[in-house]
Amino acid sequence: MIDFIDYLLGGVSSGAIIALMALALVLVWRSTRVVNFAQIGQAMFTTYVALTIRELTGSWFLALIVAMAAGLVLGVLVHFLVIRPVKRLDTSGAIIATFGVLIALEALAAMVWGGDPEAFPPPIENAGYELFGRIWPFSPYDLLVLVSVVILVLALSVVFTRTNVGLAMRASAFNPEVARLSGVRVNRMLVLGWAIAGLVGAVAGVLVAPLSTLSPTSFDIFLVFAFTAAVIGGLDSLVGAVAFGIGTGLVIALVSGYSDSSNAPLVALALLILNLLFKPEGVFSHHKARAV
Amino acid sequence: MDSILQRFSGARLGVNAATALVIWGLLTWLNQVIDPLMSYYLATTAMYATAMFGMTILLGLSGQVSLGNGALMAIGGYIFAVTSMNWQTVPLLGTPWNAVWSMVFAGVGGVVFGAAIGGIAARLRGPYLAGLTLGIAVGVPAIANRFPGLLGGENGLMLQVPYPEGGYASQDVGSEEETEESSEIGVGDEPVYEELPDEFADQGEQSGVDDMLTEDDFLSEDDMLTEDDFLSEDDMLTEDDFLSDEDFSTDEGFDTELVEEDLLTDDDFLSEEDFTTDEGFEASVDAGAETQNGGDAGGGNEFVGGTDPAAELDPAGLDSEFVIEQWQASVAIAVACVVGFVALNLVRGRQGRVWEAVRDDPIAAAVSGISPAGSKISAFVVSSLFAALAGAVFAQILSYVGPGAFTLGLSLSLLVGVVLGGRNSFIGAIIGAVILVWLPEFVLGLSADRGWQDQITNNAPNFIYGLLVVLVVLVAPGGIVGGIQGLVGRFRSDSRTG
Repeated sequence: MIDFIDYLLGGVSSGAIIALMALALVLVWRSTRVVNFAQIGQAMFTTYVALTIRELTGSWFLALIVAMAAGLVLGVLVHFLVIRPVKRLDTSGAIIATFGVLIALEALAAMVWGGDPEAFPPPIENAGYELFGRIWPFSPYDLLVLVSVVILVLALSVVFTRTNVGLAMRASAFNPEVARLSGVRVNRMLVLGWAIAGLVGAVAGVLVAPLSTLSPTSFDIFLVFAFTAAVIGGLDSLVGAVAFGIGTGLVIALVSGYSDSSNAPLVALALLILNLLFKPEGVFSHHKARAV
Repeated sequence: MDSILQRFSGARLGVNAATALVIWGLLTWLNQVIDPLMSYYLATTAMYATAMFGMTILLGLSGQVSLGNGALMAIGGYIFAVTSMNWQTVPLLGTPWNAVWSMVFAGVGGVVFGAAIGGIAARLRGPYLAGLTLGIAVGVPAIANRFPGLLGGENGLMLQVPYPEGGYASQDVGSEEETEESSEIGVGDEPVYEELPDEFADQGEQSGVDDMLTEDDFLSEDDMLTEDDFLSEDDMLTEDDFLSDEDFSTDEGFDTELVEEDLLTDDDFLSEEDFTTDEGFEASVDAGAETQNGGDAGGGNEFVGGTDPAAELDPAGLDSEFVIEQWQASVAIAVACVVGFVALNLVRGRQGRVWEAVRDDPIAAAVSGISPAGSKISAFVVSSLFAALAGAVFAQILSYVGPGAFTLGLSLSLLVGVVLGGRNSFIGAIIGAVILVWLPEFVLGLSADRGWQDQITNNAPNFIYGLLVVLVVLVAPGGIVGGIQGLVGRFRSDSRTG
């Protein structure tokens, strides 16, 4: 039983980060109906930027801010240079294009920073808290991750539910035509969606780097986890992405704890297949738009 | 070329057979006259082309974006390796085993897995399918870690290239059993991989029981943590010390100590490294790697890994290397030509029209009595068969199968090749295969002239691939072949009107 609690506690922070990545995928899907498989490449790239800033200035916080800005810019760039021109053509073209961006970004990062895994040390203690005479697998850094994710998610939910911009974004996601007729500048909302997704992904990258290592391909696995979470959540539900992101993280932590961490991708795959077979529209989705 | 052949559609089978035979003859002749390195490139190109014929059917004709073909290559490669290493006779038939049977079983495995994946995939569209197959590409090679005894775990399996005489091409005339044993025992011991097999082989000869070793492995997985805890207590340590003092010179004390240490390092290191650094490991196994940094990003690492066996074989003598390279190329060419022949017949026949009909309008196809799901599944099965055969060839070219050889990068490079060459034609697949093999060498040549850093040289091809893929999707969705056809068509219409 104490093992169970340990594994769950250990999965909380990675679950929160998976939730962020899933959130980024969902934001892009809502705005342009594209799954941005390059999202993880963008996050990896901005994390390298953060590493460089941190090595130059020594400030983790400054590195995070710069990475967020870089993620925002990168998201807008990918949208304008790749997605908007492709989108007119076909969906498989858009999918292939995002993989092209992923390949290019991973190669570019390896060219600039080298392909070897680099350590991205946590800004604060990453050893578990000691309480009731034992060490729990939950560290101050895990707390920092959790708090950051909660703040970000709360901020996003305030933006989406309490501001005009958020309302406009939701309107353009829900029904672009009607939104356009109501005076919403839908195209701007699409760009904004990509920008916010890039920012959220950048935060996820900076937060996850100390828990894994940083190499051009080391985040790839999180793309699988995040995609799993986003799809189970319904792919257009922000709440679903967060809930199932954390859920996916916990399940993976449990399986890794009781068996072996090399099972994690298989578990994600099994979750994805089960979901696609039995509830393909996702748990939180409004739409039922996935029939052949 | 297409248009010429299409005029003879009545004699389609004969024309396709003649085409395949002529190409096979030309490539076989080419294989005889070029040097071993070129034979190696030829083999790799033919292997990529084999896999990409399947991608052409899946992506071009059936319109499904799949990244799972690298994983299906892994399935074919592993089946080839495991059957050729462990089976001396064909099950049920009892005839002596040879490499052709391994290829057959690899193909069967591809069909089975392809049907399973296709059954799921037929219910999905666009991004869902891409995401699912992405998970397959990442997850399936990790299965090898679950069966360290049979599949070699993270280290993979080294296999001898099967030779036509029915035996194995071995440099030191070692018996087959020894090689099997050493490759199984070497599982998981990264740092001492080269030293361990000898010691354990000796041990195995003395005790004469192979099963003991696998028991050790099982124990190591389940009970390691509790052993760790016990060892850390003071009593256990002192007992160990006494034992080692008494039996310091004898073999037994040394063996047990060595086993325990190895198990400890296995567990700790593997559980952390598995997950993130496949490629780093690949570089460490392929000790003769010319290039390290580039192994990580995207699709190019297979070429880097691919050159290693040749580099390792160098000291064995030029003659044997020459034979191996040429034999590998002839196998790869033969498989590619057979697969190409089958693919041509499928595509130019009824099945090709069925795939295209479902791709262009599933509802209209369904109204015409075609099952869209059945069409998508059959495309998956065919492309999986081709991918598994390509994987079996890949295993022979590398003389190795392992998670590091079948990365997500491999799946991505198949996608890159097909998209660049032209996803609607087999000639596009061949052009894509040539690009995949040629571009890294071209960049290597450039960098030798200009003195680029390794990390730029090794990753520039992938960077170019990525940019080209985006560019092709934006500018010429038909790839190189589609672009040329478009230009030719425009030229013709211009000359007619003008």
